[in-house]
Amino acid sequence: MTPDEQAFLAKKKEKAAARRAKPEEKSELGLTSLMDIVSIIVIYLLKSYASDPVVISPTAGQKIPLSNADSSIQDGIPIFVTMRGITFGDKKVVAMTPEGDIEDGAVNNHLIGPLFDAMAEEVDKAKTLGENIGKPWGGRAILVGDQDLKFSVLVDVMYTAGRAEFSEYSFCVIRKG
Amino acid sequence: MARKKFEEEEIVANLLPVMNIMFLLIPALLMAMEFASMASINVSPPKFSSAPSEPKPEEEKKEKPLNLKVFVMEDGYRVSADGQQEGAEAGKAADSKLPTIPLAKAGTKLTDYDRYDYAALEETAKKYKLLAPTEQIVTISAEAKIPMQALIYTMDALTGRTCKLGKVQKGEAPPADCYFWQPVVEGGAG
Repeated sequence: MTPDEQAFLAKKKEKAAARRAKPEEKSELGLTSLMDIVSIIVIYLLKSYASDPVVISPTAGQKIPLSNADSSIQDGIPIFVTMRGITFGDKKVVAMTPEGDIEDGAVNNHLIGPLFDAMAEEVDKAKTLGENIGKPWGGRAILVGDQDLKFSVLVDVMYTAGRAEFSEYSFCVIRKG
Repeated sequence: MARKKFEEEEIVANLLPVMNIMFLLIPALLMAMEFASMASINVSPPKFSSAPSEPKPEEEKKEKPLNLKVFVMEDGYRVSADGQQEGAEAGKAADSKLPTIPLAKAGTKLTDYDRYDYAALEETAKKYKLLAPTEQIVTISAEAKIPMQALIYTMDALTGRTCKLGKVQKGEAPPADCYFWQPVVEGGAG
């Protein structure tokens, strides 16, 4: 080993010893910038938060009609009527034919049997709950339909809702523009 | 006496609990977020009366109801007021051959929602509103295959396409550009 190499190694060892002797630095994550971003996101989401009493989440493939109406959605029980079926209380109660009509046997003289049963059960629950909290039940049905939904199906759903003691109806629409 | 040296302590706020809450809030708010602005059209079911009652003296003084009805047919609109269809043949209450307002785009599919002449219907509504300024109710019926979107556009035209009813909900008086905003849906036109 040449003297130069020896000197180099000695210097290297010295440097390593100095590094080891140095107290460990406590590393900290800079969270301030992350906090700024997250705060902005939370404020934006709070602003876009649905202020309506009922949150309508359309079912897959459903195209809610467009309208110029600007009245907000009032409290009620939603009924999802699509070209595939009728959903009430997160449960598909009636299936539709490919032509968009209610399947045979489910409707009798405008009354949709399975839908009526589900609605009647829900009405009983809503009434009991209303009595317990001292707030009368409003009896409003929110019809969340589809752009292509046939008028005959709409009438059958409204008739069934009426038979199940719903007295007020609202059509859910998407505001234009 | 030697002065005691005061050393400022650096206080670092512990942001981790705040961050935890923030990160939980984000998915919760995303779930409840409105991606499309929803609105509602309040619709009344048809009213039935079992027996005609004797009119009260107060009711007699009131304005005679307009009884405006709009039938959405596959070939256009049939509009009638007080049982008389507009544009019907002389001496007839209703015309089975011709619609009051024909289609704007004749020969198109039912799913083409612009096939109806909404502008002409709005003009008709405006005309009837001048005849009965206090009237708000319109009965709407349609043929079995008429799509819901065409029905909604019809309601929009009868209400007035520039009409904003949001403030009416809060108790304000309806604006002048609102015509018939209380639709009664009736089945069995077709």
